[in-house]
Amino acid sequence: MKDIYELLNDLNIDESEFEEMEVNELEKANIKRSLKKEINKKKKRNSWKKSIAAASIIVGLSVTTFVTYPAYAGNIPVIEDIFRFFDNGKTDKENRQNKEHGLYYDYKKFSNEINMTKESNGTKITINDAVFDGKTLTLTYTIESEQDLGNVDISMPRIKGMEAIGGTGKTSKIDTNKYVGILTVSNIEDKKLDVAHINWDIDHIKNPDNQTLIKGDWNFDFSQNATDNKIQLTDGSAEKNGVKVSIGKISFNPMSLIVYYDQEVTELVKNKWDGVDVELEIKDDLGNLYSGEDNGGMRKDSSYHVSGSKTFEKLDPNATKLIITPHITLRDYNSDNFTSVEITNDGKKEIPLPEKPGKGTEEFVLEDIIIKIKK
Amino acid sequence: MKANDTNYIQRLQQQKEDALEFIVDKYLPLIKGITCKVLIPLNNNGVIEECINDIFLSIWDHSKKFHGDSNDFKKWICAIAKFKAIDYYRKVNKQIEFTSNTLDVNTEKSIEDELIILEDRTELIKLINQLEPVERDIFIMKFFLGIKTEEISIKLGLTKASIENRIYRGKKKLNKKASNLKLGESGI
Repeated sequence: MKDIYELLNDLNIDESEFEEMEVNELEKANIKRSLKKEINKKKKRNSWKKSIAAASIIVGLSVTTFVTYPAYAGNIPVIEDIFRFFDNGKTDKENRQNKEHGLYYDYKKFSNEINMTKESNGTKITINDAVFDGKTLTLTYTIESEQDLGNVDISMPRIKGMEAIGGTGKTSKIDTNKYVGILTVSNIEDKKLDVAHINWDIDHIKNPDNQTLIKGDWNFDFSQNATDNKIQLTDGSAEKNGVKVSIGKISFNPMSLIVYYDQEVTELVKNKWDGVDVELEIKDDLGNLYSGEDNGGMRKDSSYHVSGSKTFEKLDPNATKLIITPHITLRDYNSDNFTSVEITNDGKKEIPLPEKPGKGTEEFVLEDIIIKIKK
Repeated sequence: MKANDTNYIQRLQQQKEDALEFIVDKYLPLIKGITCKVLIPLNNNGVIEECINDIFLSIWDHSKKFHGDSNDFKKWICAIAKFKAIDYYRKVNKQIEFTSNTLDVNTEKSIEDELIILEDRTELIKLINQLEPVERDIFIMKFFLGIKTEEISIKLGLTKASIENRIYRGKKKLNKKASNLKLGESGI
């Protein structure tokens, strides 16, 4: 059914019969002021929705790996570098022989040892290391529990000053009763913090496989300074089939590099597909391929304009150029891969699945974006 | 980037505030002209001001429903202005009657009244949607925009008698549909 505004749009009226009236600047200013007041009243009511929507895009990136170890006596693996463990699932000894790089290759070197342990309800949680690059906090932790936790689920820490956060987490069983994990918390807003005040208040942990819930109180409060970093503004972009990806800036720090990107799509794509995902593949002029992790992005309410960032392993000091290849996936959301909930002051409301003609997925690759590195 | 003559509709649809300012600058004289012409007899500047605000807010809130170029946009906002102004005129007139008939001191409209006005309108629009396109246009012009039958006949290239005939038939149709609606609702 059409509403009155659409009906009026269809109507071809003769506007020449209408007469203009004199208006002075004061009247214009008055109207603008009261309109802005009204609009902002509405916006305030909606602002909650926005940050939640931003956060909801990200949740669900949690990946779990599972490694079993022969549990005979005296062979309890000691993992000094949990970061590296999650690069390739190998212990320290194997890592020393393995020169292969990974995203977390240099994280241990620039991290701080936190070594805080809290025990509650027979379960010990220890925070081992923390690194903060101004945008993303990376933590490693160890859990010791009598109960079988499986690929344990754990809540995310909060960081003061970050309003919308995205992140990933992985926990692996390394021995009977012993688990190690890594998680990242990224500020989705483009705002650099010099220090992260972390409050991690865990009131339960859960085994997602058999729904066992362990309640308790593990509360960590600590601060972590940001590592040095250098930001280079860039203006490279690539466009194809109605999708445009631009690289706005790159931040270099001692253990990683962060690529900030913007994604825009045309009306045509927007009307056909429910979602557009961007994967960035990064190489340098020496042929190194960089592995990375998504930090999440912010989507401006109903548009498909996404501003996001991805963290990659640190730059090879001899590289002079970065070659960024955006891989695009156009998606159709269905009940299997997408749910969205809107939380407002009036309560929770499930957002229905969008109905658009595009079905399945469609993938394509944009042209390389080449960025010269300023030294 | 700021709104200009070529991008203001797009920016308005993206809910950019500078586009709203732009249309206030560009179209306020016209909107004021339309609103005043209808509402001057009420002799109430407050109502005129409120109505103009309401017009711009409606344009802002419903901008996504608009399709067309900047000439169509002008027509569209003129139609909204005329429709809103008449709506205000009717509402205020009703209020005056209401207070003069009953000696109740209650001059404010109750929430129930507001709801009835609102529901009447959505019901009516629902009914109008069921009419044939030509009849639909005639009805909107005649009853929402208050355009005279002669003018409608010139615009649509039909005779005055034919317009009146269609209005009569349309009314009959609406009447039937409306009573069906009521019957259906009361469950008889």
